[in-house]
Amino acid sequence: MRDSSRSNHWLTATLLTPASLWFVFMLIFPLIVILVFSFGERAAVGGYAGGFTLEQYANLPSRLKAFQNTMLIAPAGTLLSLMVAYPLAYFLAIRVSRRYKLILLVLVIVPFWTSLLVRTYAWIFILGGRGIPTLLEFIGIEGVRLINTPGAVLVGIVYGYLPLMVFPIFVSLEKLDKNLLEASSDLGGSPVKTFMQITLPLSMPGIATGCMLVFILLMGEFLIPAFLGGGKVFFIGNALVDLFLQSRNWPFGAAVSVTLVVIMLITVSLYMKLTLGGKTGRDVSLM
Amino acid sequence: MRIYAIAVFLFLYVPIGIIVLFSFNAGRHASELRGLSVQWYGKALSNPFVGDAFVTSLIIAFSVAVLSSFIGTTAALALQRLKGKMRVLFDSLIYISVMIPGIVIGIATLVALVTVFDFVNPVIASIWPEGVKPPKLQMGYASVIAAHTLFTMSLVIILVRARIAGMDRALIEASMDLYATPWRTFFQVTLPQIYPAILAGFLLSFTFSFDDFIISFFVAGANTTLPVYIFSSIRRGITPEVNAIGSMVLAASLFLLVMAQFLLRDRNSR
Repeated sequence: MRDSSRSNHWLTATLLTPASLWFVFMLIFPLIVILVFSFGERAAVGGYAGGFTLEQYANLPSRLKAFQNTMLIAPAGTLLSLMVAYPLAYFLAIRVSRRYKLILLVLVIVPFWTSLLVRTYAWIFILGGRGIPTLLEFIGIEGVRLINTPGAVLVGIVYGYLPLMVFPIFVSLEKLDKNLLEASSDLGGSPVKTFMQITLPLSMPGIATGCMLVFILLMGEFLIPAFLGGGKVFFIGNALVDLFLQSRNWPFGAAVSVTLVVIMLITVSLYMKLTLGGKTGRDVSLM
Repeated sequence: MRIYAIAVFLFLYVPIGIIVLFSFNAGRHASELRGLSVQWYGKALSNPFVGDAFVTSLIIAFSVAVLSSFIGTTAALALQRLKGKMRVLFDSLIYISVMIPGIVIGIATLVALVTVFDFVNPVIASIWPEGVKPPKLQMGYASVIAAHTLFTMSLVIILVRARIAGMDRALIEASMDLYATPWRTFFQVTLPQIYPAILAGFLLSFTFSFDDFIISFFVAGANTTLPVYIFSSIRRGITPEVNAIGSMVLAASLFLLVMAQFLLRDRNSR
């Protein structure tokens, strides 16, 4: 076939052009700009003045609290989501009959695709002064403050990201050969032993994928701490909004962003090395 | 186990229910339920700011959905032909686009575009004829649409590629053997098989863009989208009107999701 491989190359290149343009101009270029800015200085009126200095990075400890909160609450939130999600995923994958399985799974995932803003706002309402604290006063418990605490932020996190955790675990449990469970109990394995030796290890890829997805999103979280942490419990994301939109200290903000992305990359690659032995999670799918 | 599952489902849906319930509040205070009425919906719908923000969000979400379905599908079709290093490069770019926090995309896009605009605008002004006001590049529809599309086109690529992988290659070969042109093979064999994934991608892109807050917050410029409007209203105080707007936003995304799910199920059952 004459020229067919050459015209095939042209076709492939043409089809990839729009996507490549987007990757270059909306991903690679902006990330390079941020990197360059992070070595610059703040202009007198805010914004950016050129230069090469490590001053911004040296200044990072001034936002230590935001980093600490993020690095403590993000893993805690991930773990808590896992603990809430696992039994549900197990129930959906193994205990529920085929008839109801799909509809129940859809019911778990649907909230994830609706406005996180509105769903988080619901918790301001529930945890706020006239929500649960008022109900508690009726039964005689007074002076309980729920909103603007780390606990409130954790509740918001579990609520917001539970669907993302349930789905990959469900997928890995669903694939699990049910005969293995029967074989184990036939051979006298107790339910606990069956779970620890068969179910849990075989669902590890799902657990790893779910934890990674939730953790990554939490590292850049802004809304949940903004609404439920009320300036007391703030993340790196909140510091970034403050730096870029209020104090307009772009170079420092850039340095914080770069640090955030670097921490994220390190944690994720470490995590993948540890849990998956280098294999990337192939269950990454949101629907 | 069953009780636990019911409890989790309640945990997921009760807060949404509370927002919807309180949006029908007849009283003036957000947190005291005094009879039911739809007055706050009327108020929300007649608020010009809400209307403007809603239209802005619709324009952006629709453009994002059209762009990402097109770019995502073409890229997915090309990627199946790609091998070796280029394939690895594109796979990494796709996953980075999906994984990178929205706030970093928002900030990086803002900073990059403002820098480019600061550089380009004086150039345009200098070559523009005297007496005519030169156009000024600034943040607006285009910047939000472009920033959202980075994430959503990658999502479409992932969805369509999964569909292509599950497709019956024999049909394409049969079509080629019967001397159909590549175009005809594409439109009569490939496209009908992948279109549910494209449509689902379209709807998910629309939903993502319509619900996104953080990227729009940084790059929308003077164009307030609905989530940005809701955010600033909440900052000013919780009112039943915000509940009504929130309920409408939830209803809109639910509607789109049901459609997307329907299409993806159609795919699975074939």
